[in-house]
Amino acid sequence: MNENPYLPAESIIKAAVKGIENVNRYSELKYLNELKKLIGKYCDISLDRIILSPGSDFLLREVINIFSKDRKIIMVNPSFFPVSQYAMKLTRKLTKIQLSPPCFKIDPELILNELDEPTLLIIDNPNNPTGTILLDNKLVENILKNPNVLLLVDEAYYEFSGQTFAGLIKKYPNLAITRTMDKAFSLAGLRLGYLLAGDCFRDQFSDFPAFLPRPTLFAAIEALKNPEYLTLNINKIISEKNRIEEELKKTGIKVFPASANFILIKSKVPGFAKKLMDSGILIKNLSEQWLHGFYRISIGLPEENDTLLSIIKNI
Amino acid sequence: MKKIGLIVNPIAGMGGSVGLKGTDGEIYKKAIELGAKPTTPQRIEETLSLIKRKDVYFMVAPGKMGKDYIEKFDFKYEIVSTIDEETNADDTKRIIREMVENDIDFLIFVGGDGTARDVYDVLGLTIPVVGIPSGVKMFSPVFALSPSAAAEIINTTGNQFIEKEVLDIDEEAFRENKLAAKLYGYLKVPKNITLLQAKKEPSNVSKSEEQIKEEIADYLMENLEKETLYILGPGTTLKTIADKMGVGKTLLGIDAIFNGKLVGKDLNEKGLLALLKKYNKSTIIVTPIGGNGFIFGRASKQFTPEVLKFIGKENIIVVATEDKISRLECLRVDTGDAETDNNLKGHIKVITGHKTETIIEVK
Repeated sequence: MNENPYLPAESIIKAAVKGIENVNRYSELKYLNELKKLIGKYCDISLDRIILSPGSDFLLREVINIFSKDRKIIMVNPSFFPVSQYAMKLTRKLTKIQLSPPCFKIDPELILNELDEPTLLIIDNPNNPTGTILLDNKLVENILKNPNVLLLVDEAYYEFSGQTFAGLIKKYPNLAITRTMDKAFSLAGLRLGYLLAGDCFRDQFSDFPAFLPRPTLFAAIEALKNPEYLTLNINKIISEKNRIEEELKKTGIKVFPASANFILIKSKVPGFAKKLMDSGILIKNLSEQWLHGFYRISIGLPEENDTLLSIIKNI
Repeated sequence: MKKIGLIVNPIAGMGGSVGLKGTDGEIYKKAIELGAKPTTPQRIEETLSLIKRKDVYFMVAPGKMGKDYIEKFDFKYEIVSTIDEETNADDTKRIIREMVENDIDFLIFVGGDGTARDVYDVLGLTIPVVGIPSGVKMFSPVFALSPSAAAEIINTTGNQFIEKEVLDIDEEAFRENKLAAKLYGYLKVPKNITLLQAKKEPSNVSKSEEQIKEEIADYLMENLEKETLYILGPGTTLKTIADKMGVGKTLLGIDAIFNGKLVGKDLNEKGLLALLKKYNKSTIIVTPIGGNGFIFGRASKQFTPEVLKFIGKENIIVVATEDKISRLECLRVDTGDAETDNNLKGHIKVITGHKTETIIEVK
């Protein structure tokens, strides 16, 4: 699991607790609207384009549900694995583009040449687990100019990468973006995702129910009202990430730059993940679904990171 | 109680330290002359020390081929056959045959690619195996990553097995100073293969490898064109396709099909060129062989630059299971001719199922 090691601000935990007080009641519409207003302000987007959901993976799945029947789906590999599995189950045709070291980039021409039939293109940007920025404005606009194509960009790590295409939503009806408050906002246990929807998506999501538990709703509202902790936590994570990267490089491990809250590494040590697991450290062994020897390391608390580094140095 | 066969190639790996490329045949005598020491005892003993299963009964080869190591532990075992002072590949094969007659459920062998070939010669795909790496050459993904990984595989093995390639140095290429692997066959290995060398097996796919191969075969069958010569490369995926078509394909050779009938079996370059000239339209169907993703130039040297130039990149179909392709950084070609290699480079679509494909770079 890739999570934020830091708790949110105290006021947010209090808000979540307050949400439990009337747990016998459904969430009230006024709070849902308040949250939408705050997200609208945070993303600089109109309220009617915001779809709320308990976790962005529900939204990704729903997009696949709605749009895959008469379209082929294009995704990259690796990607958020549960979603690519879901796409494989439902779609008429699934094309994967294999990301490979050392750059893990996609060739813009290659993507554009694949868009010769109705297509749903799903790209996580930055990509998980490589942390690579796969899209730029030029490529996104070139994709969106093709009316046969729907583009869904998963910006789960936007707060770490700083790159977003939210500004293009109004201009291009065939663009949608998923975001989450699980990662940068430290709310993984409360599950709050949202979709920023271009016209094509918004119309299809008009009756999508926003079932949000009250603690989630209250905490998310408080987090967006007082987001100072967000910047502080992100800075701490990035600073620790930089420190780990430097230390790992000294051990001879290949470290790939990632624009997210994790690090991608390559180790030739046999059973690397297992050796760490035996010492109580869990990292993502990517050879289970992708390339041998590649691992994703989530950034933990400084003392946890110290433990990680000392174990790796002794492997 | 699981009956596990255990056989050790006592001279495997001795060539490495003295700069020899293996100890097959008579080369090991040279290794001894050069002062090489056996490396297998410590490796098998490490594995045995970590086996925690109590439901196992060992059938072991005699002396330095098995008994000398297992007797240091508390396992229940019996000795199969006899050996002389000097042992060779024939002993390995003979003893494994006797183990099969004694109904072993599983075989642990210690050695390198040469030993894996001997095991394959006797077992084929009948009884599952795991190799403890101890050789100089270990191209074959039938070996555990380490002796301790081998123990873990044995501790956790259930009833699910998959096929993996037996590869060894292509002696012919090697004489021309090229290090290339040749496909010799397939062995059945446990599915919990994270601990095996090279690539890992399904955790991201819910279908079995066999089901996916069938799906690929179905897709191709639906899309095969009439009046086209289809040339099928080596490998189990292509064998599945041929089986579906009702054509008796060789597992390791290159065969040709025209309008549903076999028109060429185990073809060499000359045979391929003759067929290509005879038929107007031709397509090659290949699958990557081994852990490095070679589609041309390693396990199928019959696809020479001349054959590939004749065919053209647009008439090449690559098929592979999703699981195999997702674990490759790229596909590779090494035909020995730079121009042919360059023409084959770039991105290519690989058919991975009935409705799935992966675009991957050819390098």
